[in-house]
Amino acid sequence: MNPSIPPEQIEQDVLAAMKKPGLLYWLALLFCGTVFIAGMVCWGYQLKTGLGVAGISHPVAWGIYITNFVFWVGIAHSGTLISAVLFLLRARFRTSFNRAAEAMTVFALMVAGLFPLIHLGRTWVFYYLIPYPNQRQIWVNFRSPLIWDVFAISTYLTVSLVFFYVGMIPDFAVVRRYAKGIRKKIYQVLSLGWEGRLGEWRNYNQLYLFLAAFATPLVASVHSIVSWDFAMSILPGWHTTIFAPYFVAGAILSGTAMVITLVVPLRKTLSLQRYITDDHFEAIAKILLFTSLIVSYAYIVEPALAAYGKNPFEIEEFRYRAFGDYGTLFWIMIFCNSILPLALFVKRLRRNIHFLFVLSLFVNIGMWLERFVIIVTSLARDYNPYAWGTYHPSIIEIGITLGGFGLFFSAYLVFLKTLPVLSITEIKERSDGTGNHS
Amino acid sequence: MTRTPSKIPLFYPMMLVTAGIIAFLETGPGHGGGSSLLMTLVFWITVVEGCIAVAAICDLVHAKWIVTLKEELLSPVPLLLFLTVLFLLLGFKIDLYPWMQDEGRWLNKPFFLIRNAVVLLVTYGAALRYAALSREEDDRKVSAAVLYLFAFVLSQSLVAFDWVMSLDYPWYSTLFGAYFFVEAIFSGLAVAGILFALRYRREVEKAGEKKEYLRDLATLLFGFSILWGGLFFTQYLVIWYGNLPEEVVYLVERITDSPWRELSFLVILCFFAAPFFLFLPRRTKTLPGMVTLVSLIILGGLFVERLLFLKPALPLPTMIFLLESLGFFLLFSLQVGRSRA
Amino acid sequence: MAREIILENREAFVRKLRELVDGGVPAEKIHAQFPYPVHEVEEILGRRPGPVRYFTLIGAVTGFVAGFGLTIYTVLSWPMITGGKPLVSIPPFLLIAYILTILFGSLASFAGFFFLSILPKIGRLFTPLTEQANRFIITVEEEKR
Repeated sequence: MNPSIPPEQIEQDVLAAMKKPGLLYWLALLFCGTVFIAGMVCWGYQLKTGLGVAGISHPVAWGIYITNFVFWVGIAHSGTLISAVLFLLRARFRTSFNRAAEAMTVFALMVAGLFPLIHLGRTWVFYYLIPYPNQRQIWVNFRSPLIWDVFAISTYLTVSLVFFYVGMIPDFAVVRRYAKGIRKKIYQVLSLGWEGRLGEWRNYNQLYLFLAAFATPLVASVHSIVSWDFAMSILPGWHTTIFAPYFVAGAILSGTAMVITLVVPLRKTLSLQRYITDDHFEAIAKILLFTSLIVSYAYIVEPALAAYGKNPFEIEEFRYRAFGDYGTLFWIMIFCNSILPLALFVKRLRRNIHFLFVLSLFVNIGMWLERFVIIVTSLARDYNPYAWGTYHPSIIEIGITLGGFGLFFSAYLVFLKTLPVLSITEIKERSDGTGNHS
Repeated sequence: MTRTPSKIPLFYPMMLVTAGIIAFLETGPGHGGGSSLLMTLVFWITVVEGCIAVAAICDLVHAKWIVTLKEELLSPVPLLLFLTVLFLLLGFKIDLYPWMQDEGRWLNKPFFLIRNAVVLLVTYGAALRYAALSREEDDRKVSAAVLYLFAFVLSQSLVAFDWVMSLDYPWYSTLFGAYFFVEAIFSGLAVAGILFALRYRREVEKAGEKKEYLRDLATLLFGFSILWGGLFFTQYLVIWYGNLPEEVVYLVERITDSPWRELSFLVILCFFAAPFFLFLPRRTKTLPGMVTLVSLIILGGLFVERLLFLKPALPLPTMIFLLESLGFFLLFSLQVGRSRA
Repeated sequence: MAREIILENREAFVRKLRELVDGGVPAEKIHAQFPYPVHEVEEILGRRPGPVRYFTLIGAVTGFVAGFGLTIYTVLSWPMITGGKPLVSIPPFLLIAYILTILFGSLASFAGFFFLSILPKIGRLFTPLTEQANRFIITVEEEKR
């Protein structure tokens, strides 16, 4: 696929990203950091004053904190998809994206994990969620989807971290040769003294395969469990069997969009066109299209079956979703997630990086809105008309939401300067043209 | 793998004759209200559309192992036409469905028959076009494969929602459609497994490569068993947890009494446990005998599961059903066998 | 003592390795260092997959048992019915068991990798014995004289 590039050249090209940052980088980091800190100030205010400063109340007790939680967990998903699933399927283009995507997974999960804690209100007792023998003499309720979440998200974060780190061990051994001073010491420790011996590689390859094989069903189960936070209830619009696969597909859709959002500028600023080619973007655009089609299928099936059945509450719920208070958001969501991605059937557009970048931004917006629409509309209109109501996020909630984005992008900027942004080892293997990929 | 043209005309008359026999059986004495016809339809449409879908997906992702099997997997295409004819026979048996007492805007006799027949014909057309282009290795085969897959998803969703789910009207589950087309691909892979293992025995040359292909196929079956397990669990968990009377009744009917309870467990065993545990060790994935066995178990599971789904329409008139299955099986094997000549 | 052969690229490495094995050097006597995975190596040396998988299996089974153990034990130690579900509700507990299977399985594989590859190499962390860079190195153990 790639013309053979000498390994030294690959090392230098990739590690060039880790050179001393320029002014633009510092400005970007400053901006993201400020947004993050502003978000934290909002959270501090909420902690001090109480959850009343947020717009969530009766009947919409789950607002944009939960929206953000689901959104960020979803973003995390495509990192695992690209690194684990494509590894198992032996798709060659994975090498161009996997490191960036895995980093994205880890950071997105950190942000995601924050939001349930923010939503708790009394964040300082979050450890009640963890099962351990305690003086309250009571255990957590394992029948509750919220506890499944605790297990699923923490396991997912752990396994993603392990996967991320294991993938980098041979690369650290490369970085340690180039780094100087205290950085050299750090990379030496991180590389664990890796020498690329036969025995090391054999165990390494096996470990990587197993981690990929574990991560694949894990990633499906995590977003299924997130979807069950909703589907286990009996609320119209939430209690439906298609939710789990629909959420998983939606997660991969949003995550793939985020990968494109991140990698397009990365490729441009670090001049990695030789390694991340248009072909690779085309391949990832196909994943985006595919998941968008699955999501659209669910968009059609849900209201169609509500109309098929005889349950008036379900029918009213889907009517409200499309034509009620949040109708505009619903149609923006349909446009971003279902209609706009259809353009990817055109090969020229799949290969147009600018178009892909803009599209990915739209899909990010669409997927955020999707979660908002699902969560809020079902709560706003349930069975009892006396309990109906609407919800608007308060300024504090919006501040914390933006803070989440600030944290994510700050972490990503730090990643760019501290870790190799592409898998050097795998690119060497691929560039040899004889890699074990079909 | 050259097709022998002299045999082609023979197939369509045979199909007509079989259709005639089935029509006679279904309208004759002891016909049992059409449950045997419906059972034959829902089982075979899954297998036939599944085989073609597997070929189409493999063409899209450039899977290598398909090259040796493509002719076989594409050969059942004419059976889609046959299935359309059989479906129209269902028009005489439409009283099978409870909604016939209270026809609505979606579920009423003319619309039901017309939309399903149209979708079947569209699927048949898409399959014909795809098969022709794919055999010629035409560049347009990719778009043809995508079109077929769209038709396939639509057709399987209608099979799920219209043919099967509406037997329990107004009960519904939104996952049913997706569940059906995943199962169709799964059973298509199982058919591919059987065919590949058969061929593997006959031809010994290029053994190393074949072994790799067999392993890939077995790994796919293994992966699909997990996927199936996930979908099954998803559907079960939501209904079990919600415990809404109008919804949970579907499960209760099928897991409280014998023999349904045992059959339900058998389905899980066939679709999930057997492929998962038998293919867990590395070595079994390359044994042709094991791949055949697991594939047969999966197809058996599909059969039992369709029986469970059709519970409201049962009992099956055994003799008629056996004759119909036999006829279908012969036609299917004839088509596949001919392509291997 | 050992004989060291240094090769500059992958093709030469694979060729040399094949040559050695065909020349009658037993596979156990051959050691190698290479900068990225070379899948032919396993093929040429004909070794069976390493023992990491046993760690994985043990970890996974432990996780599964632990998941059911934890949920069933805790629910019985303070029997409290919630949501009208049976005390020991298999479907949700299965989820916990499933997640712990994956968690323990992955962590055990990770630990097994460390253990089997003798990583981290504490003594040599800051001064790796050979910094191979992008070279391929074959070391052949010679018979003791």
